Amino acid sequence: MKKMWKGNHAIAEAAMRAGCKFYAGYPITPQTEIPEYLSARMPELGRTCIQAENEMSAVYMILGAYSCGMRCMTSSSGPGISLKQEGLSYICAYYLPAVIVNVQRWGPGLGTLDSAQTDYLRDTRGGGNGDYRVIVLAPNSIQESIDLMYESFDIAEKYRNPVEIMSEAALGQMMEAVEFPEFKDREGELDWTYDGTNRPHGKLPDSEKSAAALAKYTKIAEEFQRWESYRTEDAEYVFVAFGLPSRTSRNAVDQLRANGEKVGLIRPITLWPFPIKAFEELGPQVKGLISVESTDTGQLIEDVALAAKKCKIDVPVYGLFSGLSISKTKAISEFYREVKSGQRKEVY
Amino acid sequence: MEIVFAGFGGQGVLTSGLIVAEMALEEGKNVTWMPAYGPTMRGGKAYSVVKYMDGVIGGPDMEEIDILVAMNGPSLEYTELLKDGGLLVVNSDAISDDEEIHLNADVVRVPCLTLAKEVSNPKGANIVAIGALLKRSGIFDFETAKEVMTGYFEEKGKGKYTEANEAALKKGWESV
Amino acid sequence: MAVTKTTPKLVDIPNKFCPGCGHGILNRLIAEVIEENGYEQKTIMTLGVGCDCNMNSTFLGDTIQCAHGRAASTATGVKVARPDLLSIAYQGDGDAYVIGLSETLNAAYRNTNITVFVVNNNNFAMTGGQMSWTTMAGQVTTTSPAGRDTKATGNPIKLPEIVSGFDVAYVARGSVHSAEEIMKLRKYVKNAIEAQLAGEGYSLVEALCQCPTNWGMDTRHSLEWMEAEVVPYFELGELKERKAK
Repeated sequence: MKKMWKGNHAIAEAAMRAGCKFYAGYPITPQTEIPEYLSARMPELGRTCIQAENEMSAVYMILGAYSCGMRCMTSSSGPGISLKQEGLSYICAYYLPAVIVNVQRWGPGLGTLDSAQTDYLRDTRGGGNGDYRVIVLAPNSIQESIDLMYESFDIAEKYRNPVEIMSEAALGQMMEAVEFPEFKDREGELDWTYDGTNRPHGKLPDSEKSAAALAKYTKIAEEFQRWESYRTEDAEYVFVAFGLPSRTSRNAVDQLRANGEKVGLIRPITLWPFPIKAFEELGPQVKGLISVESTDTGQLIEDVALAAKKCKIDVPVYGLFSGLSISKTKAISEFYREVKSGQRKEVY
Repeated sequence: MEIVFAGFGGQGVLTSGLIVAEMALEEGKNVTWMPAYGPTMRGGKAYSVVKYMDGVIGGPDMEEIDILVAMNGPSLEYTELLKDGGLLVVNSDAISDDEEIHLNADVVRVPCLTLAKEVSNPKGANIVAIGALLKRSGIFDFETAKEVMTGYFEEKGKGKYTEANEAALKKGWESV
Repeated sequence: MAVTKTTPKLVDIPNKFCPGCGHGILNRLIAEVIEENGYEQKTIMTLGVGCDCNMNSTFLGDTIQCAHGRAASTATGVKVARPDLLSIAYQGDGDAYVIGLSETLNAAYRNTNITVFVVNNNNFAMTGGQMSWTTMAGQVTTTSPAGRDTKATGNPIKLPEIVSGFDVAYVARGSVHSAEEIMKLRKYVKNAIEAQLAGEGYSLVEALCQCPTNWGMDTRHSLEWMEAEVVPYFELGELKERKAK
């Protein structure tokens, strides 16, 4: 039977089910329930949980352990993920898998503890020095947080690339009724790990690295796009939203549809690679795209505009940016009406 | 259905939400529970939002409230999100009966703490409020509510308070 | 008596350090002890950033190159994943004591069962001889051109003395400036590695090494300067002995 679970606890338990053997992290609100939960749960399972001295140390512990092939992860929130970027850059440089959870809070600097999506551009563009990408998965419910976490180690190992679960403060704090999958372990062995014998680890000479990076990320972008399209078939205006704003946007679609408005929703599940294919499916009746996001200045909207360009959808792209809150259903419907009646100016 | 329990930290408003969420789950609904967290927690302000329905639930935070339980004065600020025809349960031990509330809603005033003390359960004011809102709204019957609540506390290892909590629930139920 | 000298397989190619550098001696001592213990196929060496980066191509076992200062954390992760292997962090003084001071101290503080080797050559050598926290008072570097002013920059850091106050397994400081000291250093290296293999906890060995290139001296004068100036300040010996041998 389904039980009520808090988002952060659920994602931590899902990691255990997925075969995570080692966690290293540092407390920061609103993700602290993850290390708290694991500091009790992992010893119970005979696994290792280390409270590191800082975020950087935690990410290098993960680098070291995953070099040896151990399923392991770290988690943090906005400012802490900034500190981890150096290590993430190294992990990508070495084609290592890793799993990171970012329970986002609002703002630059210390910011606030409010729910937000203000880390979108940093996390989908790599975030550290050098040219690389992190695969970013964005659940919009606690069940989906579990399901994506359960897959994330497999994805990270398949592509030898870090996977981030991008959560939000409210998604980490809220509770929903969920079910957990069975405990599993990796199937088969990784043949490149460090085991002391100095066997090949798949390192490339510098002269081949640029081409290899392009090939790798092009391949992931091509084959790993995920999204959910909702009532888009005949939609004239399409909302684009992920995470919690996608839930209020979906409600807005239903309410507006009930009043005869032709609206739909594209919900990216992979933020990188961005699901451009979702936009290819849109018909010629589309008159506008509306990015609904918990940011201040608009971040997701850049990818929406790029996807539209790629798919030759030459329509205005509008943005509803709710900053440190989640746009309410009513606000989204009102924004739509303003767009439709020409009272809103497009961003792109 | 959107229910908000609001008050000061320590008045049990998070627990109230969890108990009612369990009732909705028992009836096979989709349920979300969200606590006030972070900055909202400072200054002792606390609330929890419970939403349940058969379909897909949207955002977990307050949008259009069906039932608001105000355990203290500041919680009345959320009445601006209360739907027309909604239900407002006011803890009259903390909010004076002289405080005028002009709303197109059903307003019931319950001395939650006084009633809780009457059944020797001074920490059960939040349970009294649940009893009152259930009776008034008719969303769950008394026996289901009692059973779910008891199960909730037993799972938390607080089974020894079962009798006192049931008494508080009954007291609230009978108060309206 | 005839003595046959064999080079350990782990360092059986020419190293890439500058002529006269002390790193190569420490490389060899570590390789010898690893092989003595039969761990040449069971060691992962995490390298910090500095002249030790050269070891990526000359140390013939598994090496993980991590970021500047983070070797202790990386080696910790290695040890979590593979407690059956020998996990070594090999760093310079700038790496371990300056940018990585936090990671170094915290790994020691946790008494993590890893071994840390630090080459102390009194400067940031890889980047061309800048001041390090181990630079001697009055020593000229490219960022202390008038000689290190300890009033403004602090006194040279004695990290082994700090961590020997923690609950750790083994701490020592050796030097490569004479054959006699090299033999002592070998003993420290052996103790540090064997402490980890016995599961005793954190071990650290600092090795004073000459850096003729950046000191602007020939090797002979470098060794003389070490003996006269460096060794009296950075005292040699075991700062924390193993409890149960």
